[in-house]
Amino acid sequence: MTARTPLPGRAARQLLIELGTRVEAARRLEGGAGQAVLRSIVEATVNLFQAHAASIALYDPTTDRLVYRVAAGEQGQGVIGLSIRTDQGIAGYVYTTGQALALSDVANDARFGRAVAEKTAYIPNTIVAVPLVDEERTIGVLSVLDKRDSASFSLRDMELAGVFARQAAIAITASRVERDTAALLAAVLEPLAGPNVDPDAMEDLVRTATSELGRDDQSGLWRLVDLAARLRSVQPEQVGLVADLLTVLVEHSERNSRRRHRGRSRSAD
Amino acid sequence: MDLDLPAWSEPFSGERRAQLLRPRAFPGIDREWAWGGSTGAGMTVAIIDSGVERDHPAVGGMLRRSVRVELGEDEPAVVDDPEALDVVGHGTACAGIIHGLAPDAELVSVRVLGPDNKGKGIAFAAALDWAIEQGAHVVNLSLSSKSDALFGTFHDLADQAYFANVLLVSAANNVPGPSYPSLFAAVVSVAAHDLADAWTFFYNPDPPVEFGAYGLDVDVAWRDGGRIVATGNSFAAPHIAGIAALIRAKHPEATPFEIKSILAATSNGAVRDNHRG
Repeated sequence: MTARTPLPGRAARQLLIELGTRVEAARRLEGGAGQAVLRSIVEATVNLFQAHAASIALYDPTTDRLVYRVAAGEQGQGVIGLSIRTDQGIAGYVYTTGQALALSDVANDARFGRAVAEKTAYIPNTIVAVPLVDEERTIGVLSVLDKRDSASFSLRDMELAGVFARQAAIAITASRVERDTAALLAAVLEPLAGPNVDPDAMEDLVRTATSELGRDDQSGLWRLVDLAARLRSVQPEQVGLVADLLTVLVEHSERNSRRRHRGRSRSAD
Repeated sequence: MDLDLPAWSEPFSGERRAQLLRPRAFPGIDREWAWGGSTGAGMTVAIIDSGVERDHPAVGGMLRRSVRVELGEDEPAVVDDPEALDVVGHGTACAGIIHGLAPDAELVSVRVLGPDNKGKGIAFAAALDWAIEQGAHVVNLSLSSKSDALFGTFHDLADQAYFANVLLVSAANNVPGPSYPSLFAAVVSVAAHDLADAWTFFYNPDPPVEFGAYGLDVDVAWRDGGRIVATGNSFAAPHIAGIAALIRAKHPEATPFEIKSILAATSNGAVRDNHRG
């Protein structure tokens, strides 16, 4: 019987850590891909329905809450990042039951689940909410708020919203593995390693590769990566401006650090 | 635009509705015979949903029992829910519609949604199992499960209900892909039509969704004693549940498939033949 693959040596571990960092950076830079598809779906939804706003909330198993991930429309942006319990409000109901729902005269009803509406300072008058369903389960909710040319949403609107929700669910399923560096590494390494590798050793490898990702001394790097990722959504001329500014700042920092270095060298003489 | 729409409501809406016109299969059966004079007295209608507010004026004091499903470490358990709260308003909306049509039918709320219960398919299955065991005459299911893992469970439950003489009325899901048990033949599946009349309903001989009832901009009861205007197959199903309760009260010997036949025969699409004018 073939011996189990031993854990790699120190140099190899260092390389793994480096790989993990690069994968994470690439994931964050590109991590907008799934997000970009979702954003384009809510934008298309707003346009098609001539609605004031549309948003997608996804279920987060870690917190057991629905988190608003993307939104479109002038009134929709405030909702991004908010989270609600799965037993709260219209989105919560639609998530837990998988049943699409449209409501009118919402603003006139003081009892409407306003937890979200009040936080975003936007209380809709009409709302249609449909579940995002992948092959197995409900994973989130697409909400469309306030159709401009109509006092309510039609049955056809609900069914059409269902189609957009389906597209969103497909996009999410496709990017699920890529959303998590550890899952991505495991998905690549496991089939390559074959059946002779101890699962615990494999888990340890992945853990090694991702061990540095949560460290504070790298938070500056992740901040930069996240900022760079956000550049994907700004105008090209603004990207140029940001790059110019960064170039100046980097050159300035490098000059400073060379000067300090020379200073230290001289004092050592 | 050719989209892959689920379109369960499509056959019941607008111009498409004309295609539902068909000769009455049983000319001797009309609405007067089917439920004339019936108030639903003696019937129990179970509502598996977000709970029902006992004191809501739309429920008319007819909520007889309120239970909820508890998902513990072991098997899910159905326990009394004396507070009779509705965490959304949705279940109270369904109860109000049923009470509006069948004012003497007794209502039982089985709550599958709440702070201690995430409305998982397994809780829904436990609730349905309980309602069948209790011998409810009609069960309103304005919710469904997408869980493939529960396909078999719901299929068995739909059969159990059918054989136990319990009529399941289930809202079709407006989202692509299967949902259970609304697409099983043993249940009365309902989508929405766009005519503002509680007594107007259609039979669609082209399944899986066989019935269309009022579900667009329906003025419904909502939580905390309120009302709201709501759209969805969720609100169409209780219209059929209410009418089914009326029929069952008048014809207690009728079984679920006979009730379905009576509903089809008395639907708005069933036109009188030439002899009857």
